Amino acid sequence: MSSVTYDQLRTLYRTLLVFATVGVLILATGLVEFAYFEPPGQTTGARAHIVGIFKYDPTNRQPVGPDRSEFARNEELAAVVDWSSIPANLTVDARWYDSFGSIDGQVGPSTPPGLANDTVIPVVVPPGYHYILPGRYTFVVERLKDGVPVEVLGRRFVVVDRT
Amino acid sequence: MITSTHPPAADPESKLRPRRYGIAFAVAALVVVALIASSILNYVYLDTIPGRASLYGLLAVALITVGTYILVRAFDRDRAMRRKHLIRAGVLIGLGVVLWLLVIDVFLFTQSAGPVVAGICALACLPTTAFGLFVVRRMDRNHKEPWRLVLVAATWGAIVATSLVVWGETIWEVSAQRALVPGPGLDVSLAFMAGILEELAKGAAVLLLFLIMRNEFDDVVDGIVYGAAVGLGFNFLESISYMTNQYSIFAPEGIGGVAAGIQWYGRQVLGLFFGHATYTAYIGAGVGIARQLPRVRQKVFAIVAGFIIAIAGHFSWDAWATIFPIQNTLFGLVEIHLRTLVMTGPFTAGVIALLLFGIRYEGQNLLDQMHKEAATGHGAILPDEVPILASPWRRLRQRMQALTRTGPRGYLTVSRLQTAQLDLAMERWHRERKELDTPLEAEQQLRDRVMQLRHWVAA
Repeated sequence: MSSVTYDQLRTLYRTLLVFATVGVLILATGLVEFAYFEPPGQTTGARAHIVGIFKYDPTNRQPVGPDRSEFARNEELAAVVDWSSIPANLTVDARWYDSFGSIDGQVGPSTPPGLANDTVIPVVVPPGYHYILPGRYTFVVERLKDGVPVEVLGRRFVVVDRT
Repeated sequence: MITSTHPPAADPESKLRPRRYGIAFAVAALVVVALIASSILNYVYLDTIPGRASLYGLLAVALITVGTYILVRAFDRDRAMRRKHLIRAGVLIGLGVVLWLLVIDVFLFTQSAGPVVAGICALACLPTTAFGLFVVRRMDRNHKEPWRLVLVAATWGAIVATSLVVWGETIWEVSAQRALVPGPGLDVSLAFMAGILEELAKGAAVLLLFLIMRNEFDDVVDGIVYGAAVGLGFNFLESISYMTNQYSIFAPEGIGGVAAGIQWYGRQVLGLFFGHATYTAYIGAGVGIARQLPRVRQKVFAIVAGFIIAIAGHFSWDAWATIFPIQNTLFGLVEIHLRTLVMTGPFTAGVIALLLFGIRYEGQNLLDQMHKEAATGHGAILPDEVPILASPWRRLRQRMQALTRTGPRGYLTVSRLQTAQLDLAMERWHRERKELDTPLEAEQQLRDRVMQLRHWVAA
């Protein structure tokens, strides 16, 4: 093997290792970000009582019918939360996430007594659309610390059909 | 009459081959076990559409895997046996593809957008992906990879790798959604999921190709070509999946076609070379560099390094692309392009740098070997042919002259002669570096083939 050839291969190898070092830094940054938004040791033991997910009547702003996990596309839906189930000193909010991870409805943040009048949390139809988008929706009641959600106190999943 | 394969068959008695095949068998077995385990877990615990699709898709994946193996190995056999093996491989792969399309159509697309939309999306993605494969193969200026292996790589990326990630990602995603706080933390977790699982699934194909077909896997340039081909195959099926999904979501609002079109542009035009092709090219680069390194430790480092860069590049896009807000105005169109350039551009530039350096490195060494072969006086490569063989443009000019003189047949014959001469130079290079497990007779066989082709050209 000539020295020139080996030097060229070594250059390629070392370049690859330099790139990999940058890759390790990127992945480490990702881990730090994950740890910031998912800090360990944030379990209070509190549980939010989600009464159910119901069909929503936007005219009367009231839930209708039984608790369900699947909805037709042309139906609107809302979650009902019993805020009294959560300790009054916590800062909490409730949110709807669609399958793209976008927030499609929210109340809070505030203390549970401050949200006593917001027991019904509907999914908002996106502006300019006729219906809510189909897919898997996640409803969460979260505890916040320094403005950042750190613990899920209650969670429900529902499916909005495509047809 | 030429009875040998081209390049000549590797030594079936080699003592090194079984060891490599053993590793290949272990990797393939791991892939199969992962497929079976995750599909059963999906089916038992999730019982969703992907769960059923994964279980029924196992047979398709098995057929494709066995068919691919027979196809790749067929070219190491003599002509009579090769035909039989090609037919067997064709039947198995054909059955696998049909079965897989049925599974996909019935359980995924027809329930969302319907088979017609799925078919249109697939047709829309075919020309762009074919263009991508053409460009990627052309990048190897000195010694192009056989189309059959480039297509095998792309098929593995499209069918086997996507199958692996459907199951793995479903389990990871559902578990994360049930355990984590929605928002940035969950997004980062899902970005790790995509980076790790998708790159491992695609990288397994590159690694298997290297282990089974090392004679066609020469160096870093070949690795980049195969890696990018796997990425393009993966991108093809992922594009269809996203297009049909977006269509079904937005069709009731009357903008299903627009939504699918935006996905097509983002993945098949803007992201054709910037996304999966770039990431998996790094895995190929790592494997290609490892192929020529002398020590096992260095080989392992190079392969791991390739995987790390691929995972990091993929992760950074999935986790941080949303940092760049896209305005809902005309300027948003510019921002979309800028975002891709800023986020993935540096990774693509890096792989292009490796490619250019690799081409130069390969070219210099082939030139050196051509000079040495010419000096032997065997006549396979003549001294005045060396400058022509060393230059892709001069080789093209020589072929065009043959085309003008004797038509397409002359063009093809000269093309075969040039390829055989470059094969010989490549064989010499690997032999000098002790990177071959084929016997010395293989080199003489190549030389004989060049001489026979030379007679055809003269005739």
